[in-house]
Amino acid sequence: MDSLLPPEIDEADRTFAGALEACADLDTLLRLKGAYVGREGSHAARMMDLLKAAPKEQKRELGAAINAFKQRWEEGLKARQADLEAAKKAVGASSWDATLPPPMPARGALHPLNRLMDRLVDVFRPLGFHVEEGPEVETEEHNFDGLNIPADHPARGSADTFYLAAHPGRLLRTHTSPVQVQTLKRYGKDGARLLNERGGIRFLAPGRVYRKDEIDPTHSPMFHQVEGMLVGHGIGMQHLKGTLEYALRALFGPHTEIRLRPSYFPFVEPGCEVDVSCPLCAAKGCRVCKGSGWVEILGAGLIHPNVLEFAGIDSKEWSGWAFGMGVERMAMMLSQTPDLRLFFENDQRFLEAMGGLD
Amino acid sequence: MWIERAALAAELPAAASLATRELAELLASLGFPVDAVEARPGTEVLDVDITANRGDAMSHRGMARDLAARLKAPMAPLAPPPTPEGAPKVPVHLPDPGCPIYATALLTLGAGETPEAVQAFLAALGASPKKLPAVDASNELLHRYGHPTHAFDADRIHGAVTVRRAVAGEKLVTLDGVTRTLAAEDLVIADERGPIALAGVMGGEATKVTEATRRVLLESAWFEPRTVRASAHRHGLHSDASQRFGRGADPAMASVARDLLVQRLQAWAGATLEGAWTAGALPATVPTVTLTADLLTRVAGEPLSLAEAAGTLEALGCRVTTGSEAMAVQPPTWRHDLGIPEDLAEEVLRLRGYAAIPSVLPPLEGPPQPLAPEYLQRQALARRLAHLGFHQTVTYGFVSPEMDASFAGPLGTEAHDDPEKRTLANPLGVEYSRLRRSLVPSLVETARQNRKQGQREVRLFEIAPTYRGLPAGPEDTWTVALLWAGERWDGDPESKPALVKAKHLHGVLKDVCLPGTDRKVRVLDEDAMVVTELPLSYFRRPDARIIPTYMPHSRFPAVERDLSLTIPTNLPWLRMHGVVREALKDSALVDLTCADLYQGKGLEPGSKSWLLRLTFQAMDRTLVSLEVEAWMASALAAAEALGAKLRA
Repeated sequence: MDSLLPPEIDEADRTFAGALEACADLDTLLRLKGAYVGREGSHAARMMDLLKAAPKEQKRELGAAINAFKQRWEEGLKARQADLEAAKKAVGASSWDATLPPPMPARGALHPLNRLMDRLVDVFRPLGFHVEEGPEVETEEHNFDGLNIPADHPARGSADTFYLAAHPGRLLRTHTSPVQVQTLKRYGKDGARLLNERGGIRFLAPGRVYRKDEIDPTHSPMFHQVEGMLVGHGIGMQHLKGTLEYALRALFGPHTEIRLRPSYFPFVEPGCEVDVSCPLCAAKGCRVCKGSGWVEILGAGLIHPNVLEFAGIDSKEWSGWAFGMGVERMAMMLSQTPDLRLFFENDQRFLEAMGGLD
Repeated sequence: MWIERAALAAELPAAASLATRELAELLASLGFPVDAVEARPGTEVLDVDITANRGDAMSHRGMARDLAARLKAPMAPLAPPPTPEGAPKVPVHLPDPGCPIYATALLTLGAGETPEAVQAFLAALGASPKKLPAVDASNELLHRYGHPTHAFDADRIHGAVTVRRAVAGEKLVTLDGVTRTLAAEDLVIADERGPIALAGVMGGEATKVTEATRRVLLESAWFEPRTVRASAHRHGLHSDASQRFGRGADPAMASVARDLLVQRLQAWAGATLEGAWTAGALPATVPTVTLTADLLTRVAGEPLSLAEAAGTLEALGCRVTTGSEAMAVQPPTWRHDLGIPEDLAEEVLRLRGYAAIPSVLPPLEGPPQPLAPEYLQRQALARRLAHLGFHQTVTYGFVSPEMDASFAGPLGTEAHDDPEKRTLANPLGVEYSRLRRSLVPSLVETARQNRKQGQREVRLFEIAPTYRGLPAGPEDTWTVALLWAGERWDGDPESKPALVKAKHLHGVLKDVCLPGTDRKVRVLDEDAMVVTELPLSYFRRPDARIIPTYMPHSRFPAVERDLSLTIPTNLPWLRMHGVVREALKDSALVDLTCADLYQGKGLEPGSKSWLLRLTFQAMDRTLVSLEVEAWMASALAAAEALGAKLRA
């Protein structure tokens, strides 16, 4: 069958692939296309002439052979043309200055105080803690009485606590502890039904609190606290220490050490203050820890039996611990922010830098 | 409170050999953190924090007692030769339970002055010596032993001394020269002419000891803490004496401190004792507390030996009767804070050191509780808004009445609001006097500040409670406010910045709100500022279901057709949308949107042009053009019924 076409055609087909590869641009490719499949003077045109001149009985076989050549060449040319065009486009793209600013998707930020509170909740979730919240406008009963705070305690005075003008005895909560009182009362109702049903309580209470402090670099009349509480059977200081050790290591890193020091708060007994090894200098001593290697981080203790009894919970059967920490204080320590007021100014640059997004 | 090292060592000889840093750590581990250490001539002083429950620790001897118990080291004895008592030279009456005991003495002063060493001691503590032996000695005793005493000029006292409640309105000029108008609750020392001292707080100017004083009448009493705290608070007079009586002084020290004072006046000022006597008697002792082994084990986290615990409590001055499972503990007269078994357990742990407490995770006794849906909603919403480019703010919950009046509050809370019902009685200032009913004024103020600082675009949100003043009191509503101001720009040099418009915030609300609650945006004239505020209940909640029920999608081709219309200007899109959808409700219409909008030249006045884009897609077949043409005709007819014309 190869005898039907002249050897020049076979030769042309053999060199086609190489010639195609050698085409570096579209112009060269067009010339190659003309030589192979062009209307006049091309290999294809020559073959058509041969076909016309061929004897009738050979035409069918010859035609098939010619078509096979033409189809292979055309497909090759087409593919090469597509490659070269794409390459040309790519060259066009690279002429764009990629160092120019690109269009950016919008990016906002969570407030750093909220982020820190969310993080604390995340840390305590695996231990089965949920979140309890309460109103900011509270009663003396929840804010003071239920927490074993004596009736003549100076914190109750109008120099320390904001009271409502039209509602004697209603105040802006001075700590998140009224959430303790409300939650304990709920669990303590009907012979501590909920407490027995759920086998104890464990919750965090993050929120805003108010104290009558003038606004300055370290004081604000509104700030945030996170309170933690756990009630169960046979709860002692070891459980407070174990939980805080876990939580503070989760927050500050696995090598964090904690230290409990005796202290006093009316709503706990025993009471303590908790220090962590300085997370900024790895306890080597720095400005933040004043060279001591320790930073005071929160107050805690075992829930005073009066607090449990006030809520109708039998303190002979149930016991628990509680802690409270200042969110701003911790945020300032971790970020070395020099001025508390920055957290309430809400400058977008500050929020972007300090809050950001997970 | 300042502690001077030599004076501490005088009470506890073992303290002399401790390095200052060691001493500070020891004190901190006992619950008395040291805030500062300062050098004084020949010695050092430590600034020690004392908690409100430990009035007994507010002296060198008090500190020494705890240290001695920890170090198991002996204290120096405190046993002054008792002053012989006799018949009262001045009658002392104690009609009020606020003062159960009053030890006193009358002395005639001779020559002499406060020893140099005592002057130096007082100076080291920042208590300037007066060089009057009666005053300096009283002061020295207070710092050394914690019991406040007082010396009156006996020749300026008229008649009998009575410790009684004041008559409301009675006046007393205190030692600081201030005239105090007394309340009926104030306990005073009075002579026959009236009050001469505010009991346990401060002496009176009229009877004070001066260089001219020849005879002194001493006071070494015990006053009920609550009464002293109230008077100190009422008169803003937080003196060394009121801080100690107010936290609970040691009643047994009344006669001891009197004896010490007499001894000093005899030694320093050549005083002659005219007579010493005591009115009243020691108050009832603190009741016995039972500490069981069970409770101690529970609090400590491990079994502690009862005998060892008893030893600790005895070292602190308690009298202990130990049984096999419990002990009965009689706290010493100076420890008013030991009232319940937990207090005693704390003492055992405190003296042992909290470092010894084991570390154990509490066992779960029941299933963990889920997070509340509203909490999760707020958290998810805050994250979504932050991802949409908004910055979360935290602003004060109270505002000025002017700021408060500038916005009505979130949708649905405008009615029934009495601002007086959410006004503070004692605000920091009028600008912080009202619980806000709207977050918007705070956001607007924050945005203005940000713009002033050069921010071309400001995107803020806050999630916080707002308040409505109801007759029963302020009612809170979790509220979400959003603000967008300035120029929107993605930073691409090929795109142009454009002023923010209400529609941009509408888009955000459409994303985060429940359907149909997304159209409450207010445009503030200034500064291309748009704001909105809605109760949290208007926002989408995280779905309770993990994955919703499957809804099939069409697998056949979609057909998209446009309809270019001229519309009367006042026709809202929502109406057009509703009417066309209704007309095509039986068709395969899957989407209807306004793809282009034109208003201006080339259109008749009072008209605008919309390009409606309709998308058809069937669940079960490929659509044919004949049916699509028929639907498009119906759409056009419906639009024409609203006054629309096909655009040429």
